[in-house]
Amino acid sequence: MRAGAAGLAVWPRWRPVHDNGELKSGETTMAYSEKVVDHYNNPRNVGTLDKNSAEVGTGLVGAPECGDVMRLQIRVNAETQVIEEAKFKTFGCGSAIASSSLATEWIQGRTIDDALSIKNTDIVKELSLPPVKIHCSVLAEDAIRAAIGDWRKKNGAE
Amino acid sequence: MAKRVESAVAAACPGCAAAQEGRALFCAQCGRIQPPPGCDYFTVFGLRPHLNLDAAALEREFHGLSRRLHPDRFIRAGAQEKEWSLADTALVNDAYRTLKDPLRRTEYVLKLSGTWGGPGKEKTPADLLEEVFELNMEVDEARAAKQAGKDERAQRTGLEAARARVAEMVEGLDRELRAQWPAWDAGAEDTRRSAERAMALLVERRRYLSNLVREVDEILGE
Ligand code: FES
Ligand SMILES: [Zn+2]
Repeated sequence: MRAGAAGLAVWPRWRPVHDNGELKSGETTMAYSEKVVDHYNNPRNVGTLDKNSAEVGTGLVGAPECGDVMRLQIRVNAETQVIEEAKFKTFGCGSAIASSSLATEWIQGRTIDDALSIKNTDIVKELSLPPVKIHCSVLAEDAIRAAIGDWRKKNGAE
Repeated sequence: MAKRVESAVAAACPGCAAAQEGRALFCAQCGRIQPPPGCDYFTVFGLRPHLNLDAAALEREFHGLSRRLHPDRFIRAGAQEKEWSLADTALVNDAYRTLKDPLRRTEYVLKLSGTWGGPGKEKTPADLLEEVFELNMEVDEARAAKQAGKDERAQRTGLEAARARVAEMVEGLDRELRAQWPAWDAGAEDTRRSAERAMALLVERRRYLSNLVREVDEILGE
């Protein structure tokens, strides 16, 4: 599986590693669900928002066990508390890319309180992630929280 | 996720009934094989938990145990002893592989102490994430330029320079890790704890960076 044109912006890691640093054999040939493949080939909302803007919240998170990193950014309307735009950039495995892509899709148009109700288990379900890929969805949930936390901090709400 | 050796430790040797402490593969009284002991990897080889490990002693103990566990010796053994010999062999191999490699040995010690690895551990420090993300961006741009067919040679040089820089950072981390070893090996309880915390940060940082080196290698090899 290779990224399409839009996929240039994301960068899949197909070789997740064991906690001892060795490659997980078999994982490279692991079957990804159709939805993961779809998000991977056509990632939604890849990109960057101005992290210095007061309207923008940035969440940067990482998973030490695999060394993958994910950045999720939101632009929030202070009046309505609605997330008007969400962008992500993930250097990670297919599941992490799909999780963050899906997360941006889900949070756009929602209020921040509403977005905070999204759980990694919702992502696991939607993408049919296998147990070894659950931490990838956790990364996405953490990223949403971190982005909202950053926005709140900037806007004096926390 | 410390890989503790799970086992049903026999309370007494089935051969001579001597009490077993779950620290040895063979009965100290009669030499009869025992099920995998629930001790740490160092103790498997009768070594003191030590980061500055005596490599020669490890080799010696490993080969000694491997000889005693050799399948030829269990051809006429009962089903249970055969099973134990296989389980013990697996344990000895795991332990040897883990302890032989300096990084894996360090990570093992940190996991045993619960300082590093496993869920619920502290989040990666923000400045480390920033740095790793920036490095990933750089590499990503070089990759995109390469795919777009821009000046191939210039891109390659750029990637190679980036690789060298990150690889150097990894080497620096290895040196810093080694510098913590003496404190862990000889230190009092609190010195040991602070060495563990310092090493946990270094090991984590190393994970992200070595991942990056591997990525660059993959792009260069494409
Ligand atoms: S393997 Fe690390 S985020 Fe998926
Ligand atoms: Zn005995």
